[in-house]
Amino acid sequence: MRLAVQKTLKMYLGGKFIRSESGRVLPTTASDGTLMNVCRASRKDLRDAVGNNRSSLGGWAGRTAYNRGQILYRLAEMLEGRASALPIEPALAEQAIDRVVHHAGWADKISATLSTLNPVASAYVNYSMVRPMGVVVSFPDPRDGLLGLVEATCQILVMGNTGTLIVPLDLAELAVAYTEALHTSDLPGGAINVLTGDIVELLPVANIHDDIDAIVVSGGAVSDEQWAEAQREGAQVLRRMIRFAGASVPSGPDAFAKLCEVKTVWMSAGAEIPAGGSAY
Amino acid sequence: MSPTEQERPRLKIAGALDLAPSPESCPVGVPEHIGHFIGGQKVPGREEDRYDNLDPSTGKVLNTVSTANESEVDRAVKAARAALQGPWGKMSGLERGKYLYRIARRMQERGRELAAAETRDNGKPIRETRDFDIPTAAHHFFYYAGWADKLDYALAGRKGRPVGVCGQVIPWNFPLLMASWKLAPALAAGNTCVLKPSETTPLTAALLADILLEVDLPPGVINFVNGFGQTGAAVLGHPDVDKVAFTGSTPVGRAIMRSIAGSGKSATMELGGKGAQIIYADAAIDQAVEGIINGIFFNQGHVCCAGSRLLVEESIAEEVLEKLKLRVQALRIGAPLDKNTDIGAINSKKQLDTVNRYLEIGASEAAEVWQGCANDPPAEGYWVKPTLLIGVSQTDRVVREEIFGPVLSVLTFRTPEEAVKKANDSEYGLACGVWSEKTSRLFETAHALNAGVVWANGYNLFDPSSPFGGVRHSGFGREGGVHGLHPYLRLEA
Repeated sequence: MRLAVQKTLKMYLGGKFIRSESGRVLPTTASDGTLMNVCRASRKDLRDAVGNNRSSLGGWAGRTAYNRGQILYRLAEMLEGRASALPIEPALAEQAIDRVVHHAGWADKISATLSTLNPVASAYVNYSMVRPMGVVVSFPDPRDGLLGLVEATCQILVMGNTGTLIVPLDLAELAVAYTEALHTSDLPGGAINVLTGDIVELLPVANIHDDIDAIVVSGGAVSDEQWAEAQREGAQVLRRMIRFAGASVPSGPDAFAKLCEVKTVWMSAGAEIPAGGSAY
Repeated sequence: MSPTEQERPRLKIAGALDLAPSPESCPVGVPEHIGHFIGGQKVPGREEDRYDNLDPSTGKVLNTVSTANESEVDRAVKAARAALQGPWGKMSGLERGKYLYRIARRMQERGRELAAAETRDNGKPIRETRDFDIPTAAHHFFYYAGWADKLDYALAGRKGRPVGVCGQVIPWNFPLLMASWKLAPALAAGNTCVLKPSETTPLTAALLADILLEVDLPPGVINFVNGFGQTGAAVLGHPDVDKVAFTGSTPVGRAIMRSIAGSGKSATMELGGKGAQIIYADAAIDQAVEGIINGIFFNQGHVCCAGSRLLVEESIAEEVLEKLKLRVQALRIGAPLDKNTDIGAINSKKQLDTVNRYLEIGASEAAEVWQGCANDPPAEGYWVKPTLLIGVSQTDRVVREEIFGPVLSVLTFRTPEEAVKKANDSEYGLACGVWSEKTSRLFETAHALNAGVVWANGYNLFDPSSPFGGVRHSGFGREGGVHGLHPYLRLEA
């Protein structure tokens, strides 16, 4: 009988599979009954991840919406090819893959639903467009499984944000399988990082980091008390604290609107430049 | 270091600037006392804790004002809840909109009175209240009136309903205009409101209450409570308030967000800024100079989005500064009711102290502190001459912190990349300006700036149809346009 080759479970950061810098692992039983050691992300891992998200932001946000849509569609292709290798029921995998296909189509359409051309009463072309919020740390609801992971991923990526998903340790095997699909989907390194760890430990850690623009919590990823405390802490830096009900319904324009900033440009369109308010 | 000032008679029109005061009288009556407006009733408020409201251009008492305590705030919230559950909540969108149209029309009709009242209470020049504050306030009601029966088209295919009772706290820099920014979208979306004006500028809200009575707005739809921060905290913290909206300083915004954490209340925060004005060498210089002046000296610089950081391309810095100084020396400071006045009074002693504190800091940070205007400020009241802080650097406090006064920090840059990097190097992100005659450069810079609003060849332009609001520490949520309606709607499941 052949000895099976067991996989080392790593986290996904900057397009690379890494171990926690802390060396911390938690022994867990895999779906096939074997023992696996799951990486437990540290405060420094999180700092590295969001720092990497920040440096990757310009590259991802700067891509064309068409290109972002194609990469998301390729994520669906990669997941489809790996569906049988995912440690979940095929139906759940299919549901998640279809969700990615759905969101891939949003990439080059969402801005048309959230942007406006505003009829100001002066000689300006005035338009409001949506811009990425920046770096997002997202805590998907573990009960949503793979669907929660792809929903959190697409919420971040569709708008041109970059971000880090924090996945609880008992979902680590699935998360690692998912990152392998992410890795082969032509997604640039650092657009999405995935850390496995203790959510109760990492939410406050993320929240004291000054260079994170938004924290997203989905469904029951944290308790109401933890969320209230997180809101209090996030207020210090006016961080966008966003809570979604869960992944059962796909994010639409109203959800995506929470992950972007509306930017309004007044572009002079006449020879005469009026003074604001009144003429001096 | 004492501020430098050039000799004034350099201007050829200098002789023409000695104008006789234009207002011979001010026929606008100011009520001796301002109480609250609760459930459609003007109430005098408690005898205790009343305070004197000052005319900032003289420092003399204008009238007395009551402060609402928790039980008065509670009555206002209950009145708003009753109106929501009563006639207002049951009214069709079209009927609601008709009330807003009525309010807009009445504000236009009484525009002169409102402008004079605002100027007396706030200290800003009558030219601004007459031509900007009041007409734009009416415009906001007119704009949102038309949304009231079209809400189904505002949410990208989703249906929305009112959030509920809105608690709103506004600042003193544009009293009636800020009230309109808050009230008009809230009412169009079917909410009811409890609004607290700033303690230093309660007058136009009191006059607006008269207008609300004139137009027969159902009792409780709009309530005004007066007072200081404690009253504001009582409004925003009231358990039966569903939504909070605040315009003011970033530190207070942080405190409010902390206080409502875990309450489930939604919030809109329109906070501070440190707007940058980028002037490229290929800009129309004379127009840019007007834009710089309008960016920082409009409303004495009491503007959250004021263009308080000038970033001018090095090759034209000397020329721009020279023209800027010449132009600033033609600005008249003084009696706000005088139609010729460009620079009015600083709104309060407290704000005067703040600005003066920053001028002291600026004296140690800047290579040159330059002040100028066409005449000397009056002896009474609160005044700051238009000030340029020349030769400052990116790390200076006067470059990083919001001063909220007529003080411009002047910096230079060499490349567009440097300009954008310096402009974005701020914890704020409310508004920026960019000046160039090259369209591609305008677009490229405008899109690279990390701010909620960018003016290309213009500054301090506002329109009810145009969303306004910031990123990062300048707050979140938008006011104006369809985006300004969203915070006042709750999506139906």
